[in-house]
Amino acid sequence: MRLFLFAIGGTGSRVLKSLLMLSAAGVRPLDEDGKPVKDLEIVPVIIDPHKANEDLKRTEAMLIDYREIRKKLYGTDPNADGFFANRIVTLREIMSNSSVTLNDTFIFNLGAVENAKFREFIGYDTMNEANQALTSLLFANYQLENKMNIGFVGSPNIGSVALNEIKDSNEFKAFSNIFRQGDRIFFISSIFGGTGAAGFPIMVKNIRQAANLEGIENRDALSRAPIGGLTVLPYFTLEGNKHDQRIATSDFIVKTQSALYYYKNTLTGDNDSNVNSIYYLGDKVRSKPYLYDPGEHGQRNNAHLIELIGALAPLNFAGVPDSKLFDADGYPMPTTAYEYALAKDDLTLNFLSLGHRTRELIYEPMSKFHLLFLFLTTGLKDIIGQGFTEDEPKIKSDFLASQFYRTLVDQFMLAYAQWLTEMHDNMRSVALFRPGEIDMSHVIEGVNVKKALFGHKKVDNDVFKSEMNKLSKDATIYSDRTVEFKLLDLFNKAAHKVFTERYENIN
Amino acid sequence: MKHIGFLITGIVVTVLFFILSCGFDYNIYEWMYTSQGFSDSMMNLNVYPVIAAITIIVAWGGAAIYYYAINSVKFDRWYHWLAVMAAVAVLSPVICYLYNDSVFSDSGLAYAGQAMRFEMVTVLFAAVLFIIASYSIRWWSSNCRHTPIPQ
Repeated sequence: MRLFLFAIGGTGSRVLKSLLMLSAAGVRPLDEDGKPVKDLEIVPVIIDPHKANEDLKRTEAMLIDYREIRKKLYGTDPNADGFFANRIVTLREIMSNSSVTLNDTFIFNLGAVENAKFREFIGYDTMNEANQALTSLLFANYQLENKMNIGFVGSPNIGSVALNEIKDSNEFKAFSNIFRQGDRIFFISSIFGGTGAAGFPIMVKNIRQAANLEGIENRDALSRAPIGGLTVLPYFTLEGNKHDQRIATSDFIVKTQSALYYYKNTLTGDNDSNVNSIYYLGDKVRSKPYLYDPGEHGQRNNAHLIELIGALAPLNFAGVPDSKLFDADGYPMPTTAYEYALAKDDLTLNFLSLGHRTRELIYEPMSKFHLLFLFLTTGLKDIIGQGFTEDEPKIKSDFLASQFYRTLVDQFMLAYAQWLTEMHDNMRSVALFRPGEIDMSHVIEGVNVKKALFGHKKVDNDVFKSEMNKLSKDATIYSDRTVEFKLLDLFNKAAHKVFTERYENIN
Repeated sequence: MKHIGFLITGIVVTVLFFILSCGFDYNIYEWMYTSQGFSDSMMNLNVYPVIAAITIIVAWGGAAIYYYAINSVKFDRWYHWLAVMAAVAVLSPVICYLYNDSVFSDSGLAYAGQAMRFEMVTVLFAAVLFIIASYSIRWWSSNCRHTPIPQ
């Protein structure tokens, strides 16, 4: 199954980044029996005309790193167990023979939109006087003058016009060519901004009305496709915008209400089957204020709890059984709406603040990934040349200078550490791990190591080294695998044992 | 399979060493050290096989302790192994000397000087046997199987 994941706007990119972190940790979508969904490929497509958006750039860089790391670990096998389990591919990568030309990128090319002011895009100057007057009623002057390479600056009315271009794009055609029965589509967008609020309904409309579009293949499969969406409600505030009111925090609720009414009428109504599953997520506790930036300065918002929780939505959707998405005739079922609540209404959260199901899904993988982060950054260098590193395939000291290691540690894990810090410093504060703590015994916030005969059990690099030595001793599975796979797979297995035997169980 | 081969080879070499220590005409200890009177007494009192047995037990025991009792990631460097070898190379001649001394005392003999020099041979055999024992049994150690030299 392929999950086409359209991440729209800045929130889309940030949620996608959290999904990457979860995927790197090995969090996988589970079916109703609690088993990982088989043969899953996630195809993220970022839709955002604001190419200079820092959140988009950071997410794109991580997607590229993730793909490179995973390829080295598992090749093209969609079924993997452990770190970087979910296979993530570009549209280009899975395109078979096609007349469509596409770049190997995760970003939707919105060339026609990006390079123009909105007034140029709609041909305002070529309109007759009456149409110009009508247009001026619908769009404020600053909206008409908005150069769209910085996005739609919180104006869904611009986005809803500009993003209609999507249906004529090569990316959309490629997507329609690739899409097959059994695949699913998921949208991530915010509802209180410009790009996401407009992009989601437009994309859904175009997919459901694929039969009316020219040059689109698999029309029937598209019009019956299971579609899910994460709609992010207001969760952050802005500061420093006294003289520029293009985006105002005070408008977020009004915009949300309007958009929700629109969604109800067109996408998610009681008998509406345009969207099968809708996940609503927001927080009355607002983030620490982000610097006001409609787009000119790159827009870089700190990671937030909502994005982490939001990233669980596409994973949940991928695991929903077909019986809950299709009726007996194979047509999409009406919308099911999902909400999310914390187990504890804390302002500073750890794993114990999350509900049981969330904890079951992410606690062990995320903890193991954090321990891997600590192990790679504080332990591996001194271990090379001993123990498991000397078993075939050998991990030699030049491994530390390899492209894989640098991508994993110097890039991906650096971004991971930054992501954790940002979430920790935000409101609500997400304190899953103690910031800056390298003592593995005390690194998981709110979770202690088990008691031993004298004192407490210990968790450190030596414990992992010892476990990995034991696992590697009789392992024959690594003889035809890469060094990279051996290292991460051994650690994953060792971490599971250490985790079970040495940390208190909070699930 | 290769590791079983190492183990069998180690056992065979050790047994050969013991057999050669029992020899009358060709005694491995006398190839290394002879001294008029002392060597005859060692042979006549049948001390060589006991000395050989002590050396074998200490060397193989030391290796077993290192690879299976210590067996720790904190002690898996070559110099940890070397330290255990040094301990074996010291302990083995000390025990052998004490045994020698007690046997000679019971017989009213006094070869303190020769016995001291003879124990240098025991140092050498203990070290060699420790290396043989190490390469025979290290492969099944979880943490020290690549010590002292990774294979």
